[in-house]
Amino acid sequence: MAKTIICRCEDVSLEDLIEGFRAGFHDLESLKRYTGFSTGFCQGKSCTAHAARFLSALRGGDDVVADPPRTRPLLHPTSAASFAGQITPGSDRKPT
Amino acid sequence: MDGFAQEPVAVALLAAGVRIFGRSLKYHRPRGAVCLDGHCSSCLLRIDGVANVRSCQTLCRAGMVVERQSGWPSPKFDVLRAVDWFAGDRLDHHSLFTTSSVVNRVATGFVRKLSGLGDPPTAEPPAIAELRNFAAEVVVIGGGTAGLAAASQLAEAGHQVILFEKSHHLGGRLLDGACRLGEPEKDQPGWEILGQWKSQWQSHAGLEIHRGTTVLAVYEGDRPQVLASNQETTYLIDAQRLIICTGAYEQLPLFINNDLPGLLSIRALDKLFYRYGVVPAEPLVLVGNSDRCLRLAYDLAKQGVKLAGLVTQTQASEGIEKLKQAGVPLFFDRRVLRARGGRWLDRLELAGPDHPEPDLVLDCQACALEGPSSPAYELAHHAGCRVSFHSHSGYVVTTNEDGRTSHGQIFAAGHCAGALSCTEARQQGEQVGRACARCLHSVSAEPGGQHG
Repeated sequence: MAKTIICRCEDVSLEDLIEGFRAGFHDLESLKRYTGFSTGFCQGKSCTAHAARFLSALRGGDDVVADPPRTRPLLHPTSAASFAGQITPGSDRKPT
Repeated sequence: MDGFAQEPVAVALLAAGVRIFGRSLKYHRPRGAVCLDGHCSSCLLRIDGVANVRSCQTLCRAGMVVERQSGWPSPKFDVLRAVDWFAGDRLDHHSLFTTSSVVNRVATGFVRKLSGLGDPPTAEPPAIAELRNFAAEVVVIGGGTAGLAAASQLAEAGHQVILFEKSHHLGGRLLDGACRLGEPEKDQPGWEILGQWKSQWQSHAGLEIHRGTTVLAVYEGDRPQVLASNQETTYLIDAQRLIICTGAYEQLPLFINNDLPGLLSIRALDKLFYRYGVVPAEPLVLVGNSDRCLRLAYDLAKQGVKLAGLVTQTQASEGIEKLKQAGVPLFFDRRVLRARGGRWLDRLELAGPDHPEPDLVLDCQACALEGPSSPAYELAHHAGCRVSFHSHSGYVVTTNEDGRTSHGQIFAAGHCAGALSCTEARQQGEQVGRACARCLHSVSAEPGGQHG
């Protein structure tokens, strides 16, 4: 079936974004939660900018997508062996 | 199957004519290698008993067991592709199978069996990594054009610099065969500059480079803390100053069936052709406007690779003249409307700028496209640095004229900070290196001031 794929990890299509927008999700964070783009293996590296462009074009301005969805560690999928059993010095630091 | 040592698994597979690497999660659409840069999910394979390994970042080794991890009965013929046909335009997971609780329970049970990305590992668990926790004067994230330029400046000024590069090769875009720096008259290949830098580093004792080591997080604090890892070692570093040069991710443009195997990014083709001598399939179409794209098309044609065409908006340039002489079919003022093919690209439909219907069809087996390049802002965003949206690219790390971000101790340079060319990335990197050195000098000059 013909689809324009925005997010290859989660198979989110342009049609999904249009439907999400119609359903009232007019900002990047809630559109992300509704459609699931940027929640797959690559964590948005291939789709966030596409989705932001889509919203900014529909709403007529870059201001509506001024902030990207919150970015959280880790940047790439990582083996648990990298962290398992480590006593973390400086553990008073909290991820934002 | 044969592969070269130091060659990524994905490259060896493409060289051997493998086109389908797996199937997508929901619609079971075929997937093939796209970015070859370790940032997308299209080349995931099960390697030596571990699922979801990025085959473009994993080097070949004798006796390696490489398996596809999705598709039943096989990734080439996957019966669940039927989902894609039945779903029509889209499959609404919010309302699907919610008409009755019985239907919902059956459907949920079925979906649970199907979903997930790869099976649990059968390999021995890897050894627990060694943790190294220490303080450093400067950490540079990214060994591409900007990162290396900044690190060189700082190391030359006598500072202790730790540089992390996620890939096995230093250089980033400098390694691209079609990369050139400088004004046209001194059109210098990137690898030449890389060679010059490498010879200078011999004399810099303070420069410590970790290749194949990925920075996973930056934590906010008075001093930014950097978490990085490779398979053997996990680093947790308190950095007095941090320079983020994470580059940008190439993206495929949006058109119908833009996920068909056979479609890949221009940088992926550059890497395949110049670095590994591999052409994924012929005839080949290139879509792009930049000089590097024209140069790549010319070099491909010169090597006798069958090009079905170059689709470009660039009309009058030296590169275009050379391509005309080389007999490459050129298509101006057209955009890609749709890719067609069952499981692999076999033709592209093109249309004029405002035409909804295709007026030209190109038969091709592979197509490299220059899409928007989206800056890798994530690590800066971890630390709370301000970013801003630019519609031609994506989220760019906001910096002042010195390259300093909204976090006083963190700098950013290169494509992640909005540079559009390697020349610009190099300038920004050098500028940030100098600015960072200046601020380290002023800190150490203050009485009792080591904590800037």
